[in-house]
Amino acid sequence: MFKLNLKIALRNLFKNKVYAAINIGGLALGLTAFVLLLLFVNHETSYDKWSQELKNVYQLREYHDYATPDNRQHWMEANESRIGALVTDKIPQFKYVTKLGQGWGDGFSVKPDNANPVIVEDVRDADSLFFKVFPYQFIQGDRLTAISKPNTIVLKESLALKIFGTDKVLGKRLNIIMWRDDPGTMMTVTGVVADPKTPESVKFTAITHTGDREKDPDHINSSNHCEIYALANEQLDTLQMNKTLQKVYVDYKKSSFAKRKITFDDYYKNGKRPGLKIIPLKDAYATPSFDKNWMDKIKPIVALSVFLLLVSIINFVNLATAQSVQRAKEVGVKKVLGAYKKQLIIQFLIEAVLQTLAALFICVILVEVLLPTFNNHFDVQLTFWHSEQLPSLVLQLFGVFALVSLLAGFYPALILSKYNPVKVLKGNYETGFKGIALRNGLVVIQFIIAVTFIIGIGVMYKQTSYVANKDLGFNRDRLLNISANYNVGDPLVERIKKITGVKYVATTTQVMGNSFNVPGEITYKNNDVEVNTVTVTMDALPALGVQVLKGRIFSPEYKQDTVNTAVLNETAAKLLGKNLVGEKFNQGKNIFQIVGIIKDYNNEGFDKAVLPTVYRVTHLGGMSSTNNMLIRFESDNYTSALKAVEAEWKRTYPNFPMIYTSVEDAFQKSMEATRKQMQIIGLFSVISIALSLLGLFALSTFMAKRRTKEIAIRKILGASDFQIINMLIRSFLVLVVAANLISWPIAFILTRSWLEGFAYRIDMPFWPFLIATVVSVVIAVFTVSLQARKAAVNNPVDALKYE
Amino acid sequence: MIKLQNIEKYYANKGVKSYILRHVSTEIKQGEFVSIMGPSGAGKSTLLNILGMLEEPTYGEYNFMGEDVTALKERQRIELYRNHIGFVFQAYHLIDEMTVAENIEAPLLYKKIPGSERKSRIADVLDRFNMVAKKDLFPNQLSGGQQQLVGIARALVAQPSIILADEPTGNLQSAQAEQIMELFKKLNEEDGITIIQVTHSEKNAQYGSRILTIEDGVIKEDISVNGL
Ligand SMILES: Nc1ncnc2c1ncn2[C@@H]1O[C@H](COP(=O)(O)OP(=O)(O)O)[C@@H](O)[C@H]1O
Ligand SMILES: [Mg+2]
Repeated sequence: MFKLNLKIALRNLFKNKVYAAINIGGLALGLTAFVLLLLFVNHETSYDKWSQELKNVYQLREYHDYATPDNRQHWMEANESRIGALVTDKIPQFKYVTKLGQGWGDGFSVKPDNANPVIVEDVRDADSLFFKVFPYQFIQGDRLTAISKPNTIVLKESLALKIFGTDKVLGKRLNIIMWRDDPGTMMTVTGVVADPKTPESVKFTAITHTGDREKDPDHINSSNHCEIYALANEQLDTLQMNKTLQKVYVDYKKSSFAKRKITFDDYYKNGKRPGLKIIPLKDAYATPSFDKNWMDKIKPIVALSVFLLLVSIINFVNLATAQSVQRAKEVGVKKVLGAYKKQLIIQFLIEAVLQTLAALFICVILVEVLLPTFNNHFDVQLTFWHSEQLPSLVLQLFGVFALVSLLAGFYPALILSKYNPVKVLKGNYETGFKGIALRNGLVVIQFIIAVTFIIGIGVMYKQTSYVANKDLGFNRDRLLNISANYNVGDPLVERIKKITGVKYVATTTQVMGNSFNVPGEITYKNNDVEVNTVTVTMDALPALGVQVLKGRIFSPEYKQDTVNTAVLNETAAKLLGKNLVGEKFNQGKNIFQIVGIIKDYNNEGFDKAVLPTVYRVTHLGGMSSTNNMLIRFESDNYTSALKAVEAEWKRTYPNFPMIYTSVEDAFQKSMEATRKQMQIIGLFSVISIALSLLGLFALSTFMAKRRTKEIAIRKILGASDFQIINMLIRSFLVLVVAANLISWPIAFILTRSWLEGFAYRIDMPFWPFLIATVVSVVIAVFTVSLQARKAAVNNPVDALKYE
Repeated sequence: MIKLQNIEKYYANKGVKSYILRHVSTEIKQGEFVSIMGPSGAGKSTLLNILGMLEEPTYGEYNFMGEDVTALKERQRIELYRNHIGFVFQAYHLIDEMTVAENIEAPLLYKKIPGSERKSRIADVLDRFNMVAKKDLFPNQLSGGQQQLVGIARALVAQPSIILADEPTGNLQSAQAEQIMELFKKLNEEDGITIIQVTHSEKNAQYGSRILTIEDGVIKEDISVNGL
């Protein structure tokens, strides 16, 4: 019986080729989006699972506001280094505690003997216990002793291959040059570890052991930040441990403050509070300090994929129930021949399974084909067949498959198997034809989704083009950012300044692509105000091309500027009051005079508001050397000038290749997330609209077929073709209009909350709503009329002859 | 075999009952060949459907092979379909997506008859109806008469004790109709299968052993036919 049912199913599919293609193709598309998402989720949840032993590894997080992007407290991965010794001492459950320096700059120059230097990112310095905590597999060298001596380095296999072309590199020497005029540290390769197959949140290409991480700063007022990881004896009760840690931390802070002559309450005020905790390493990736975690980030995409899958399932259900007219007789006859209802349900479920299976097959091919593009576009490394998690993936796929088959197949199966044989056999299909209300409901849902997508894409398009054309407040073209520190009087800078085509060379702690926010509190007319402080060289503001609103910006003509003047941005000025130029404010013991106010300029994406900022030239403002060496060129065609700069650099620092980006690129990068989001929503919109239309097309085909006799009779009674088309379209049009009415508020709420993620945003535009409605109605009418016309122009005699 | 007592059937429409069958009582014995006649709309099909348990009477008692039909569960009714009742329809009602052989095989599948026996039974029936050459054709590739032969073959292959046929020759030309009637007669006489058919044709009715005439839902006449 199974074989026969299978045969009937295949014959039916073949008979309704277009219908089957739409059904299967649609389902395949929906499934593909879903499976890609599944792969992505699998990848994101596979962090730090490459060894069983990692279960007992914990990351320490301190709650502080040092070097946070918004100058507020966060649970930071960078802890004060003294906490390492503190927890080693106070927490007996920690077997080993290791301190790991955060990678800084844009990479180190790594120079093997007798070979050219290469820039390598994520070379990180650890204390000697790193490999006791992290169970990396040593291909070369000994895990326990590899970095016990200073100036040793352990490479990941991939890096060893990149530099030396082999992993047999024990004893080889590498000169590690951390910044341009660093003389470099000679390190001996003492180990090569295998690259784990699944991703790691503690990223490195090489671990150096300089010995610096073993000690804390001598002076109690200086501190040093690094990541701290602990290997525990057993899996810990994190809640319990965190209570202990908090207590240990508060005690430590109190004694430290006592030595520094600060009071605890003075330090922790205005909502600031102390905090130290551990999180299991496997949760570290999903719990970023700031920024949304990946789950929150992909929530919209999850919603989109689920919707897409839903649309394709709806198509399936709609078409299957619409087609049921054709199957009614089969059901009636089979019942009379003695089929149980259950047997019929199973038969129709098998048909759904068959189609889902075909869809799954196409989906697997599509995923394979699309994966490289997908990886490239979203900068991930997903694999399908070669996935480490293939067994669980297969299981998940099977789950999806079963769920989709059931969702898509069960309702039509139920409808079909319920047919009353007498009615059907009497030729009375109409009354046996159930589920019209449901089908209409499903069409409405499909169109709600499609219309919401169109509106969403319209609003996103408006916002992105607004942002792309928005005045940043500074001039971003012809501006280059070399990743290098800068000291006044630097001979290289002086030489670069002389190159023709170079207008300014400057530095600032804050530039698009590499912002380093330093919080500060200033006092103006007895008011304490929290601001962001930026240290610049004299030329930095002109080099950026900021717009002066009041007063002046720094200039070498004013000796005072290197001592105690300040420029405010508009936001800061608003916080302080009016007529500020010439006024003075305090920061700590220092007094600064305000010489000018500039227009706000964005140095981060448009999702972030510009902070109230104070610009100063002097080191009194807390000069922080950041790796921004800005070069402003005279003209747009600066290739030759850039070549000259590079040559100059190479002559000065043969061992440290120049790293640079243009600020324009940095700006494009800041908009990339939004752009990608728009592209994916665009893609999903197109697919979902296409699916909805295909569904509508197929549905109208069946409708027209079902009403063939009615149409024929109406024509004989004198209805014109136009009247008939009109009649057929009207029933669908109502649905589409209803869907539009429902999706307007939905789209409004969704797009508004999306827009709210931008500090700089457009007002809710009206035209995407209008366009979505017009577009959906026009295409729906067009789609339906294709079929309606065909039905209407048929010769009525043909239709009636067979009755 | 069949015993009807005071069968009534009406449809209530806006409180008004419209009767289709009233006080129908009769008995049909094993091996009878009954023809039901009467004007259009008299209730013939309704009566046949009630006999076939496709419809339920609004009132009255119906005994089929000693069992009270109104008390049957759905499963039991389906068992009766599988083992005792064969239907033949005016519009043939073959399954379009199945070949001739598959259409004939369908009831055997529901009866869970093993494959080898299915094959031999189908072969027998095809042979008997001279349709061996057509076994792999689909219904729409056959003439009306041929389709009805397949319909009858399908009803027969499960070896029912009774065949219910609603105007089996209604769509056929007289030559084909005659062939079908001869077949019914043969089945009735040689195999002892009880046959109840609805027909409009006086001539076809004569093939049976008994004629029930229905008018306005009431049995007007019940006569036996003593051959031609
Ligand atoms: N579902 C129904 N509702 C109301 N009346 C019905 C229904 N089905 C059949 N009838 C009526 O019952 C009567 C008998 O129908 P039927 O048994 O098919 O007649 P026959 O087969 O003798 O031509 C007809 O008048 C028909 O209109
Ligand atoms: Mg009738």
